[in-house]
Amino acid sequence: MAVQGIWSGTISFSLVAIPVQLVKAVSPGRVSFRLLHDKDYSPLARRMFCPKQEKMVPPEEIVRGYEIAPDRYLPITDEELESVSPERSRTIEIVGFIDMNEVDPVYYDHPYYLVPLKGGEKPYRLLVEIMHRTNRAGLAKFVLAEREYLVAVKSTDGALALTTLHYHDEILSDEDISPKEGKVEALAVGRMKKSIKTMMADFNPGKYADERREKVMAILKRKAREKGTVEAPAGENVEGEGPPDLIAALEDIMREVEKNR
Amino acid sequence: MSQKVVEIAGRRLSLSNLEKDLYPSHGFTKAHVLEYYRRIAPCILPHLKDRALTLKRYPEGVEKDFFFEKRCPPHHPVWVETAEISRDDGERMTICLVNNLETLIWVENLASLELHVPLARAGSPETPDSMVFDLDPGEQADILDCARVALILRDLLSRLGLECYVKTSGQKGLHVYVPLNWTGTTFADTKTFSKAMAIVMQKNYPDLVTEKMAKEHRKGKVFINWSQNDSSKTMVCVYSLRARERPMVSFPLEWKELERLAGEGDPARLQVTHGEAVSRVEHMGDLFGEVLVKKQRLPHL
Amino acid sequence: MGGTLWKGSIHFGETEVPVKLHAAVKEERIQFHLLHLRDQVKLHQQMICAYEKIPVPTEAQIKGFELEEGKYIIVEATELDQTTPESSRMIDVHEFVKTGQIDPLFLERVYYLEPDLYSAGYNELVAALREMDVEGICTWTMRKRSYLGALQVSGGILRLTTLRHADEVIPVKSLGLEEIPLSEKELKIGSDLIAQLTGPFQPQKFENEHQKKLQALIDKKARGEKIAVLRPRRLKPTTADELLQALEASLKRVA
Repeated sequence: MAVQGIWSGTISFSLVAIPVQLVKAVSPGRVSFRLLHDKDYSPLARRMFCPKQEKMVPPEEIVRGYEIAPDRYLPITDEELESVSPERSRTIEIVGFIDMNEVDPVYYDHPYYLVPLKGGEKPYRLLVEIMHRTNRAGLAKFVLAEREYLVAVKSTDGALALTTLHYHDEILSDEDISPKEGKVEALAVGRMKKSIKTMMADFNPGKYADERREKVMAILKRKAREKGTVEAPAGENVEGEGPPDLIAALEDIMREVEKNR
Repeated sequence: MSQKVVEIAGRRLSLSNLEKDLYPSHGFTKAHVLEYYRRIAPCILPHLKDRALTLKRYPEGVEKDFFFEKRCPPHHPVWVETAEISRDDGERMTICLVNNLETLIWVENLASLELHVPLARAGSPETPDSMVFDLDPGEQADILDCARVALILRDLLSRLGLECYVKTSGQKGLHVYVPLNWTGTTFADTKTFSKAMAIVMQKNYPDLVTEKMAKEHRKGKVFINWSQNDSSKTMVCVYSLRARERPMVSFPLEWKELERLAGEGDPARLQVTHGEAVSRVEHMGDLFGEVLVKKQRLPHL
Repeated sequence: MGGTLWKGSIHFGETEVPVKLHAAVKEERIQFHLLHLRDQVKLHQQMICAYEKIPVPTEAQIKGFELEEGKYIIVEATELDQTTPESSRMIDVHEFVKTGQIDPLFLERVYYLEPDLYSAGYNELVAALREMDVEGICTWTMRKRSYLGALQVSGGILRLTTLRHADEVIPVKSLGLEEIPLSEKELKIGSDLIAQLTGPFQPQKFENEHQKKLQALIDKKARGEKIAVLRPRRLKPTTADELLQALEASLKRVA
């Protein structure tokens, strides 16, 4: 089984094409919970449920639908979705380079990394290095699942980081927010600066993550000590003793085994 | 603490805390653990291949807390093969596949002493390739009682035309595996079949066997845990170390050896240490190899 | 500007500045539903008990931490809330860092901060942060969740950007990328090429064309017209040997 990324395809700039795959740059933290049934402590499974037939629906019977009128849906297949922008669903084409400092972080959406696939290692390395030297990032558009993204690809610590960006019309204006009165009290500014000076530090995100995890772990430890753990029943309830044929065959064999002992 | 960089199959791997005593009462360090897994690798790797690994990490040794992790630690090297699986509650999860020596060594560098894997491969999570009987002695019962139950199970299965294989759990019990390797098998099949066998065993050997999970039923008896035949369950992998006081191994036994040891009546003889494990596989190879390839179908379903 | 999402007070030392949070981004996407293939009935998501195979209503759902396979520690939602700082309206600034220190990977979501009515100190805080070129690292609790964030200044206004936690960010070194030697010539031509292709960032030039095409496809299908299925093509990768040649040809093309 090959390494599975979120997406694989090509990143291109001008006439250079690099086979790559998209991988996660962020993932959920370590402490995660399961939802359980309060009655038997069995874990809960998320399932799609058909309200008309009152039964669960397996994945192969599910299709995407677009609501064209109240309660009227138009089914759209994966193939149809992919043919909307076929050229962009397999290629991240860098259309230009920019200075990343010009991008207001309000545009940042979700970060990923790109890693080279076999044969792409050298051109990948080159793109990393020249974007690092020139301090530039590439801009591209590409389609993942049912959405088209504007993305910035930049060099970071020897790798390509890809960040999806919000579209311009998704950014809300901050014009109404600035305070009406422009006056600034110099004395108050001075006081704040003094306090800020005493609170200067280097950004150390690990500290906050550890604090958070420790708090949760402390609660879990205390609960484990006070209440212990509960055990979920065997994955699925198997009714009765089993198929009559099998039970009969087993009973027969059992008698023989006994006799020979 | 020491740090050492090794290169395996062209992958560079930095090993840390090598002299950490992971089994403090036996002076068995992280370096010893890594050495054990390196030597046992040719035998254990086929049994780990393409299966979603559950890590049980003991960074401070077997006497301290462990971390149970199904998720592949996010800081894994890119060459570690992974699979994306959908957990039952819909949450997507990346899991590790220990498909080569470098991954095995990386996992052990995380102090994941015990390696647990499901009875199905990650690519076909609903198709078990074997059926298992997890024999667990209750209070006042021991591994010799498990051996008696295992031998009866073997007779029963063989009269049903099914071959089976046995390994120690590395703790107090035994695991009997019935290879299937047939794509038409479901966990509902293996669960129904194993439960029926457990019930018939309990009826015929009420003083020896129980198929009920509740502790009060298990006293002095062997619990046949048929419910391990489930897609959400894992079994400790054959050749895995166990995180007990001593570095014991879940190790395959030949049936005639089990018969002999059961007759001798010394429960300690049924435990296999790390050193014995390594020397035995050098002579006998992988006694559990057939579990991965032998094709059998469950009758009477 | 969107409506007020939440109100609170920025707090450090003697300073307290009441503010209102506003969303900075509004996403509009074509919304799909999941249908039953057979009868096109819209499906609902339900939580099913793995043991009894029946839907379980919200009030019968509890949270468990899986300590070992199949063994859970039950935790009440109220207990987890205790991990968050006491529910107050405080945005507590713990420390200040020079701007530029936070790796963009940590940035999650931006909120604009509006001075609350009668709010004093807003303009002063903007000035202090700007003149010292710093941002504040803070925590606060909003809708029963605790957040880590950066208090920043942009133009004349304050922003609060939520930050991811360190254990959620995957470091580059875990990708295990190889060092591959490159020639000075390749680097020189590559850098020249980038210089030629560099322009200003003009986000307004990029539209979500796909969204329009998707809407067109939906309309077409709704009218009962046939949809031609187009297959994506893959570009031929540039090999290591062809790299220099491809760069030279690229440079010629743009120069």
